Order: sequence, then structure tokens, then C-alpha cells
Amino acid sequence: MNAPFFKYGLFGDDTSLVVAFAIGIAFGFFLERGGFGSGRKLAAQFYFKDMAVLKVMFTGIITAMVGVYWLSRVGFLDLSLVYLVPTRPLANMVGGLLLGIGFVIGGYCPGTSVVAAATGRIDAMVYLMGMVSGMGAVGFAWPSLEGWVNANALGPATLPGLSGIPYGVIVALVVVMAIVAFVAAEWGEVKSGGRALAEQSLFGVHKLTRTWGLFLGLLGLAFVAALAGSPYRGPRVTLDGNALGRTAATGADHVSPATLADRLIAGTNEYRLIDLRSPEAYLKDHIPGAENVSMTALPAALWTPTEPVLLYSEDGERAAQAWLYLKARGFPRVSTLAGGYAGWREQVLSPTLPEPKDEVARLEAERERAIAAHFGGAARIPLAAAALGLTPGVSPAAQVAPTQVASPRQIATPPPQVVTPPAPVAPAAPSASGAKKKEGC
Amino acid sequence: MSNNTHAPQPYWNPYLAGFGVGLALLAAFVFMGRGLGASSAFAAFAGAGVSAVAPEFAKHHAYFADYATGNPFKEWLVFEVMGVFLGGLVSGLLANRTRLTIEHGPRWTNAKRLVFAFGGGAIMAFGAKIAGGCTSGQGLTGGALLNAGSWLFMGTMFAGAYGIAYFVRKQWT
Repeated sequence: MNAPFFKYGLFGDDTSLVVAFAIGIAFGFFLERGGFGSGRKLAAQFYFKDMAVLKVMFTGIITAMVGVYWLSRVGFLDLSLVYLVPTRPLANMVGGLLLGIGFVIGGYCPGTSVVAAATGRIDAMVYLMGMVSGMGAVGFAWPSLEGWVNANALGPATLPGLSGIPYGVIVALVVVMAIVAFVAAEWGEVKSGGRALAEQSLFGVHKLTRTWGLFLGLLGLAFVAALAGSPYRGPRVTLDGNALGRTAATGADHVSPATLADRLIAGTNEYRLIDLRSPEAYLKDHIPGAENVSMTALPAALWTPTEPVLLYSEDGERAAQAWLYLKARGFPRVSTLAGGYAGWREQVLSPTLPEPKDEVARLEAERERAIAAHFGGAARIPLAAAALGLTPGVSPAAQVAPTQVASPRQIATPPPQVVTPPAPVAPAAPSASGAKKKEGC
Repeated sequence: MSNNTHAPQPYWNPYLAGFGVGLALLAAFVFMGRGLGASSAFAAFAGAGVSAVAPEFAKHHAYFADYATGNPFKEWLVFEVMGVFLGGLVSGLLANRTRLTIEHGPRWTNAKRLVFAFGGGAIMAFGAKIAGGCTSGQGLTGGALLNAGSWLFMGTMFAGAYGIAYFVRKQWT
């Protein structure tokens, strides 16, 4: 069995909501057990009276971190398919600062406010109203924030990836750091007059309590992790090189711009469109419905290994590299757009129309012109025809519905709503994140 | 289990509660390939509200357009947050900790507390949206995945909280 289960197609979207609800129940239950339904208890963290926020949060972090490492290391969990919020250093720091300020003034963070509201804290209910109002206000302010929030984005970045220190070594360092922080926090509590029960403490306890047992266990697993190598699956994938060669030779998974355009207009496109170009190029123009994903974010951005994906880059080179990358990562249904975005531009957005020497050519010219207009482009008139003043398709030619019978290519032709301007493509955040908005906090 | 007494039970050992939180987070990674979150669910509510009041405006607004099309109640995080509410309620009921109250220190009034709660919530919304997550999505989830941005986030979050704590000490102590 392979995890993440959802990404390996073990269950679908509807079941995922049941899973969300169940995991939420567990999360809320343990938060309340830890005392996070009380604003006073939460705020006490910042007056050194009761360091429960630090203890619960970092025990949670190191438990899940050690768990993720080992489940990945034994080959059960594919870590590269776990979504990482893209790193934007400036936005992460400014946002964190505001969040800390809001935490102490408001008394809660978003998750704990839900638990506190559930247990009757009226201040938490008001806090939630403030947060929803604030979320609305952020929306109105977003056009002026978006620029710098998305500036200098590093994409998905991990501490081991950036530092070059092995993953397992960082896992061990974080566990050691957390335990030192816990001991220091308890020392601080004692100094400020509080003293937790011995069985709930690390500091000054010299016997093997359950608490020490938990942390010695995590510490042991973390120390072995430091020596046990990378948790990523990468190098262990086997590829059928000959099958790969045959596919490449026949071009079986190339999709031509014309075919894609026809399918998009007819609504029969089953591919998820991935634009591998820079966020700037993507924002300027892209194929309707495409998502902007960086090469590094690619495996995690894909939902399931079985979903059909169509990749394109400017000239097709990066798309070809990404094709191989995804094949090597075990994604069988990857195709590329022949000629890349340049080909799309050349063949769909501004095709050079055939000379209208006979009826068939004239109809084909009208068809191409209509398709170009549908996607917001403009067809080019061949030089000779232009010289003679013969524009293919007279008057509002772009508005003439392409006719099925005359299509020399015998493919499903667009329905006659070509007059409609191309759907304005929402300038979605140029997310290197894989554009799956759902995955944020 | 505690019907015979009305005194709230003591909280769990925080390390044990944290271990439970860590296992819930690990389950999210294993089942879904993603972590926990909270703030985006409220962004979805706000987006749905704006779309309901002014659908045409929302459809053409870069930020609200995302929420104008989908049903916010179909979002993964919305279901997760509804679960958090139920889980918190069950735990609170079992331990006699549910009561209608406003929490603040002895030197503060209910009215001032509610104003601060609302303002803090609004500041939090800006912080979470700019940072790309809150204590759950960046702190817990990103922390456990060794996400570089999340560790930057946690550093400034604790700095901001400790930095402001002195100025609002009357609210809590």
C-alpha cells in the first residue's frame, strides 16, 4: 500500500471530506485536552507563566516530523507527494509577526478559537467574527498586497534542501532543540512561581515517567534517523527504458496545439494543463485553464499518479525534461504540447491562413480565424492574398461558425459561440504552489 | 464520566496532548498528503459572504473570484474545522469545561476584552493570509515537514507575540 492514500486514488473527493471531518475531530479533541480552549491559558505562554503553547505545539511538530521521516524512509509514504506551502521569506516573516501580535491581543489563533468557541468562550466567538471580517478586508486590500507577498518566492523549500544538511540530521537536531526548549520552559515556570506535576515534567525529574519515556522514544528514533539516509523515494524507481524510447519515437503522447484547441472549445479536454513557464510569462498570457507550476513543485502538485497531465513550456524543452522527470517518478499519463507555447501561439493564436484558392481552403481559413478569435488571438493573412486584397472570409468572418462538414481535418469542430471573447482568465496567484488553493492553511 | 461533579477536570499533560495533535497531523499526511489548517476555512466563509452580497463584483475581483465559483462548504478545510469544533466540544463536555464565559485578567473588563478579541481576530486574518498559513498550517504542518518558510514564520510569530505582550498585559495578568 502506498501513502498518501488520497493521492494514490484510494478514495475520492467526497470521502476526503469525511476524512477531513474525522481528522478535525481528533485535532480539536487534543487541542481542548491540552487547555487550548482557554484564552487565558494560551496567553499565559507570553508572560512565562504557563508554557503550554510551546509544549503542545512542539511535541506535535516533533511527533509528526519523526513519523513522516520513518514512514517515508521505510517506503510507505511518498514524501514528495506531501504538499508544502511555498516559501516566501518576506511574507512568511511579516505575516508571522502580525499573527503573533494578533494572538496576544485576540487571545487565540484560528484553530484554538474554534475549540474555545465550541466550549462557550464568548470572546472566542467574537474573535471568529473579527477574523472573518478581517479575511474580507484582506480580500479588498489584496490587489495592493499581492505584489510584495509573492515577491522573492522560493517555491517549496525545506531546511534540508536549502542547507544541504541531511534530512535525518535535521530531524535529530529539531528533537534535541525541542527537548532543551521544554526543559528551559519548565525552569522558567518554576522561576515565575508555577510548578507542573512531576509526571508532566522533564525538568528536575530523575525517573522514567511516561513523559520522559515519550521523549526518549522520539529522541532514539531521531538519532537513528540522523544515520539512516534520505526519506525520499527518488532513486529507487525502475523505468522501462525501451517503452520510454518507443513512446518518444512515435510521439504517441504529443498533443498538437490544434487538437488541444478543438478539445478545449468542445469541452472534451480531459488533461490537467500545466504551464511550466515563469510566473511572469504565465500572468501575461496562458492557455485557458492552465496552472502555473514550477518544475520542483511538480510531483506534489499532481493529485494522483493516474491523472492525465499535459505539460507545456515556451519551446517544449523544459516540458520534455519534466515529462521524463514525471515518468521517472511513476506518473504514467504525462503528455506534452507539441511545439510548446510557441507552437500554440503560432498555430492557434495567430495562424497564417491558407490562401483562399478554393472553397475548401476558404472554409478552413474561416475555421482557423474563428478558433484564433475564440482564444483571443488574431489570424494572419497570407502575403499573396493580402497583396490581392483578398481577405479570406469576407466581413465578420470571425463570427461565422466553423462548419463541421467542410472541415478538412475531420475533427470535432467548435460549437458556434466563437463570437464570445475569450473567458477572462482570472489572474490567479502565480502560484508556484501548484495552484491548488485548497491546500493552504 | 464526571456527571457527579461540576468542577472542571484538570487539563491533560500538555506533552500527551501534543503527542495526540502530532498523530492527528501525521494521519492527515498519510491519508491526504497535506497537513492541518484553519485560517483558510474562514477566508472561504468571507469569500462566500462577499459573493453572496455582490456576486458580479466578486466574480471579477482577483481575490474573491476563487470563492465565487465553488461552494465553500465543499472545501476540505471547512470540513476539518467543523470537526475541530465537534472534537473540542466533546472534549470540553467530557471534562466539564464548557461554560458561557468571557476570559480575561482581573484588571480588564468584558467590553474591552471583546473589542480586543475582534481586533486581534482581524489582525490575525491579515497575518495568516500574508504568511500563507496560521499556527496550524504554517506552524504545526510546515514545522513537521521542515518547511523553510514555516520556521521563519514561527520565529517572527513568537517574536511578535512576546514583543506585544508587555503592552497588553492588563488584559491577561
